[in-house]
Amino acid sequence: MYYKMQLADKVRVPPHRLGEDLTRVILDVLQEHLEGSIDKEIGIFIAITKVQKIGEGEIVPGDGAVYYDVDFEAVVLRLALQEVLEGLVVETTSFGAFVSLGPIDAMLHVSQISDEYINYDEKNARLICQESKRFIGVGEPVRVRVVTLSLNEREPRDSKIGLTMRQSGLGTARWLEEDMLKEKEKEKERGGERGGR
Amino acid sequence: MKETYTRYERARIIGARALQISMGAPLLIRTSKIDPLEIALEEFQQNVIPITVKRK
Repeated sequence: MYYKMQLADKVRVPPHRLGEDLTRVILDVLQEHLEGSIDKEIGIFIAITKVQKIGEGEIVPGDGAVYYDVDFEAVVLRLALQEVLEGLVVETTSFGAFVSLGPIDAMLHVSQISDEYINYDEKNARLICQESKRFIGVGEPVRVRVVTLSLNEREPRDSKIGLTMRQSGLGTARWLEEDMLKEKEKEKERGGERGGR
Repeated sequence: MKETYTRYERARIIGARALQISMGAPLLIRTSKIDPLEIALEEFQQNVIPITVKRK
């Protein structure tokens, strides 16, 4: 889920930027530093939106920079285990599909797509279920659940997020629609029986 | 109220300011001097350095 957060931090303002507007410089430094980075407790920083309060500056021996205590507002994405999300398939491989969740990509392994056996159709870049012939292709919207989370603070790109679609209510938009239609038909049949009695 | 600093505080302020200047901070006075330390000294004499001392 995305959160709008109030955070506090110490910001280093380099001396060559001291003449400029302080709020602007601090926002720049924060954006440069934090955006795209990952903190295990806070989440993935998407954007620093506002600098709210700038406290007193401090000069540390040995450094010409000024350190300010700053309160700021940030938008973060904090994923939780078991969280249900919607994403877009960006790539398919023989071992699964990569799903873009927006700021970060996640992995949907073949074993987590369906209870059926899955074949990989390399030419069309699709993963096909053997029995029902349902498939996943690039660009399709999917609804998935987060099942493994391994965030790497040092190398955000090495973070691994595992997804599953092997539960009712999860799947590509098309599967969900098909399931919904089937469900409705069943209901109609049941309703008809009752009416006939 | 004009603050009076001890010689240690003066040294710290001028030293910090000189380092800032040497690292590219904008000057607060017009001067023909080149050495950051001399510029910092001049700024201190003119009382324009925006640095105060926090006494515990």
